[in-house]
Amino acid sequence: MADDIILEIDNITKMFGGLAALKDVEFSVSRGEIKAVIGPNGAGKTTLFDVLTGVQRSTSGRVFLKDIDITRTKPHRITELGMARTFQTVKLFEGMTALENAMVGCHSWTKRGFISNGLVLLWALAEERRIYQHAFEVLKDVGLGTRAAELGTNLPYGQMRMLEMARALASKPEILLLDEPAAGLNPYETGELSSLLLKVRESGVTILIVEHDMGLVMDISDEVVVLDYGEVIARGTPAEVQNDPRVIEAYLGIEA
Amino acid sequence: MTTSGSGNPPATANRSEKEKSLKHLARDNSDYVILLVVSLFLLTVPIWADYVSTFIMDAMIEAGIFAIVVIGLNLLFGYAGQISLGHAAFVGIGAYTTALLCTRITGFPTWFALILGGLLAGLIGLVIGIPVLRLKGHYLALATLAFGLIFTELLKTQNSVSNQSNGGIGGIPNFSIFGLTLKSKIMSSTGYYLLIWIIALLVVLFTINLIRSRVGRGLRALHSSEIAADTMGVNTRNYKVKVFVISAVLAGLCGGLWALSSGRIEASMFDLRYSILFVTMVVIGGMGNIWGGMMGAIALTFITKILELQIPQWIPNRPSWLADPGNIAVVLYGLLLILFMLFLPKGITFGLSRLGTFSKQGGSRVKDRLRAIRYRGG
Repeated sequence: MADDIILEIDNITKMFGGLAALKDVEFSVSRGEIKAVIGPNGAGKTTLFDVLTGVQRSTSGRVFLKDIDITRTKPHRITELGMARTFQTVKLFEGMTALENAMVGCHSWTKRGFISNGLVLLWALAEERRIYQHAFEVLKDVGLGTRAAELGTNLPYGQMRMLEMARALASKPEILLLDEPAAGLNPYETGELSSLLLKVRESGVTILIVEHDMGLVMDISDEVVVLDYGEVIARGTPAEVQNDPRVIEAYLGIEA
Repeated sequence: MTTSGSGNPPATANRSEKEKSLKHLARDNSDYVILLVVSLFLLTVPIWADYVSTFIMDAMIEAGIFAIVVIGLNLLFGYAGQISLGHAAFVGIGAYTTALLCTRITGFPTWFALILGGLLAGLIGLVIGIPVLRLKGHYLALATLAFGLIFTELLKTQNSVSNQSNGGIGGIPNFSIFGLTLKSKIMSSTGYYLLIWIIALLVVLFTINLIRSRVGRGLRALHSSEIAADTMGVNTRNYKVKVFVISAVLAGLCGGLWALSSGRIEASMFDLRYSILFVTMVVIGGMGNIWGGMMGAIALTFITKILELQIPQWIPNRPSWLADPGNIAVVLYGLLLILFMLFLPKGITFGLSRLGTFSKQGGSRVKDRLRAIRYRGG
C-alpha cells in the first residue's frame, strides 16, 4: 500500500505578497490511506488545499495526481482526474435541492452538452437517468436519502456538511480532500462522520483531511502531517506526532 | 415541498413515503403541461383578439419577438448570473444581417437570411464573450454596455451599411418559406403572429429541457458559487461562453424576425434603451424562472404600449423631458426595476403562483420594506 502514491506534493511554496503561506511543503499520499493535515489556525492548511485543487496557483513547486502534473490544471479538470474536495465554509448551491446538489457533483463523469440536452436526445436522457440514480445512491450513503427533496441550504448544519461530502463523492473520486469536515458538528455527528469516513476509505477512496478535532484525527488517520507557519514541522503516526515536542510547542507555545 | 425542519430521524413508514414523493419530484413534468396549455391558448389569440382590441395582435407580435431575446437573456442573467447590458446589439446584428441580405441580393431566401443573422450574432457573441466573460459583476455590465454603445455608434456613422443617416434600411421583403409568403402586418397580422410565437414557444421548450438537465444544474451552480461549481467539475468558463453564445443567437434571431415583420429598421431600434428593456423584462418576469422571459416580455410590452398611447391624453401639456414617449419608457423601466427588486425580486411569474399568500400579508410586507428603506437611507 505504501508504495502506490496517488498524490505527490513537491516543494510547494505560496507567497501572498511578502508573506509565505506555504514554504517548501513536501509530502505524498499513498493510495488507500487516510492522511490528516493538522496545525494551528493560519498554518496554511486551507491554502494548501486551494493549491492542490487548482483554486489558487502555487508560487513554485509541483503537484502530481496519479503521476500527472496538475500544478497548472483547472479545478474542474482536476475533479475529472479523480480528486474532489469539500470546503471549510459550506458552499452549497443556493436554490437547489439536496439531490440537485449531489447531481452537480456528477458533472465530472458525464459529458452531454447544451444541444443534446436542449433537444432531449436519447443519449442525454439516458445520462440524466444515470446521474439521478448515482446521486440518490450517494445521498443514501451519507444518510440523507430522506432529505433529497429539501433545499440544501435549509438543512441543519451537520447535514449540510454531509451533503457537501455527498456532492464531492458523487464525482466518483479516487482521492477526497476534506477541509475541516467536523467543524460545528456535535459529538454524535462527529462519531457518524468518523464511521462514514472509514466506510469511504473501505470503498477504495483515499482521504486527505484537514481537521482541528484531534479525537477524530487520532482515531481514523494512518499518518499525520503537522503544518505551522506554512512549513511541515512534523510527520508520522498519530501517536508519534502527539509526543513530538515541536508540535506541542506550535500548539501550546514554549513551556516556561 | 415538505416544511419539516426538525433534525429527528423520520419513522420508516414516513421514509418510504418520502422516497416515493422524491421519485415523483424527479419526474415532475408540470412545465411541459403548462407549456402545452399556454401554446394552445396563444394559438387561439388571433381568433378573438381583434374583437377585443386591434391593439392586442400588434402588441403580442412585438412581445413574441422580444420574448425570444429575453428568454435567452434569462438563461444568461437569471440562471448563470452573468449580466449583459449590450444584448440589443446582438438583436441589431441579426436584424441588419437579415435586412442587408434580403435587400441587397434579390431573391435571397428570407428564412436563410434569418438563420444567418442568428449565426452571425452567435459568432460575434463568441468573439466578444471569450474575453469579456472573464470579468465579473459591475465590470461585466460595463464591458457589455460599452459593446452595445460602440455598435449603435458604428451603425449611425457608417453610411456604407445603409444610405440613410439614421442607419435606416427600408423595403425589407416579407418572410417566405417553401414558396409561401407571409402577408405584411398591415394586411393581416395572423401570419407573423403564428411564425413568431411558434419560434418563441420552441425556444421555451428548448430552455425547459436545458434547465432540467445537467447543463441547467451546472449554470445554476456557477451562479451560486463559481469556485464550488468549478471544483465540482463544472467547466465554468466554457459554460459561461456557451450560454452567452446561445443568448446571442436567440437575440440575432429576434432581430431578423423584427426586421422582416416591420419591413424597415433603423439604428435607434438597437440602442441602449432596448438593452435595458430586455434586462427589465427578465427581472419583471422572474430571474431564473423558466416562464420569466416570456412573461416579462408580454407584461412590459403591453405596459409600454398602453402608456405610449395613453400618456399624451392623460398629460397633454408635458414638460419637455417627457415629450418623447421613449423617455417615459426609460423612466418607467428604471422605476419598475427598483420596485421589483424591492418587493418582488423573483418576478411576476413567482408572484402569480403565490398570489394567495401575498394578499394575506401583503400590506404589512410593503410597510416593512418601506421602513427598511428609510432606515437604510438614514
